[in-house]
Amino acid sequence: MSLWKEFSKGLYEQNPVFKQALGCCPTLAVSSTVSNGIGMGLAATFVLVCSNLLISMLRKGVPAKIRIPIYIVVIATFVTIIDLAMAGFTPDLYARLGIFVPLIVVNCIILGRAEAYAGKNKVLPSMIDGLGMGIGFTLALLVLGAIREVIGNGTFLGIPVFGVDFEPVMVFALPPGAFIIIGFILGFIAWLEKKRSQKTAGK
Amino acid sequence: MKDIIRFGLILMIVSVVAASALAAVYAVTNPRIQAQKQAQLQAALTAALPGSTSEGMQPVSEGGEVLYYQARDSQDSTRLLGYAVIARGVGYSSTIESIIGVDSSGKIIGMKVLSQAETPGLGTKVQEIKYGEKDPWFSRQFIGRPASQVAVDKDGGEIKAITGATISSRAVARSINAAYGELTKRIGQQTTQEQ
Repeated sequence: MSLWKEFSKGLYEQNPVFKQALGCCPTLAVSSTVSNGIGMGLAATFVLVCSNLLISMLRKGVPAKIRIPIYIVVIATFVTIIDLAMAGFTPDLYARLGIFVPLIVVNCIILGRAEAYAGKNKVLPSMIDGLGMGIGFTLALLVLGAIREVIGNGTFLGIPVFGVDFEPVMVFALPPGAFIIIGFILGFIAWLEKKRSQKTAGK
Repeated sequence: MKDIIRFGLILMIVSVVAASALAAVYAVTNPRIQAQKQAQLQAALTAALPGSTSEGMQPVSEGGEVLYYQARDSQDSTRLLGYAVIARGVGYSSTIESIIGVDSSGKIIGMKVLSQAETPGLGTKVQEIKYGEKDPWFSRQFIGRPASQVAVDKDGGEIKAITGATISSRAVARSINAAYGELTKRIGQQTTQEQ
């Protein structure tokens, strides 16, 4: 498979949120605004690339039977190092993204990609895979965040989009609203896929 | 049996390497993180007591714990500018921590919500800065009011509670009442001790 394909599969074909239904917890929790979504997405992308790199480098020395505990130790250590380094060296960035970093430890996309990809593939494709998956995750958060922020708060990136008379639909800013919207998105994608497969079957 | 020992050893090596890496990173970053925290506290104090400088700020502590800060005027060091104290109140889903500055008559001269983890979109609005504005509208309401009496409108006060987040709004107002009550008691003790 070409590197471009390794990268692009994460965007739609195997989008971690919409197609693999991984990382739903952070997706539902931090997609209340666009800026939150971007922050979480970028922080997760960075961790994903680096953890795929590490796991891929270690893949030959890790016995299959105990790979999961080793992956977890590696990922948790790595995320904590990033957390400390950001707090110490880039305080402004940490003030914006700091709350997302500890959440990444429990983001199952990271472990999922380590298990499904980086543990079996070479270093460069693993990093590309991490980058594609991370950007796919960011895109999913962006879509959800944009819908939720506009309907639930009446703003986009903090800028009001409606007149003063607009009364935001509060439920969309809350977790139930995230469930409702992700339900519609998943339904829409399933419908698209069905139409697509019908088309190819008809040919 | 042999496998158990082998796997155990491998896991041990991985854990030791991970722990050493963490310890090394911690040793390097910790002084910097502490310095950041100090700078943040200083910024919060300046927000609570406008017109004060870090030199004029004096922590008053008891048993190693800082109870409140006393600030003197930056021009005239004999004049007392006011006090700053941390207020904590239990909101809807978290403890809301804020800092208030009061002058000697008990009027709030500065106020800032420092940390909270309330419901996103509702209670988090205690820190919301509206588009095009510089400071959060919720805390702005407190400035100029007597710290002992601030209360949200539902409790008959003048602070407009956040729509859908009365509990969070009320927690902030009440934590300020309580913190100010505590402060006046401490100041009373301090002056009697000095005499």
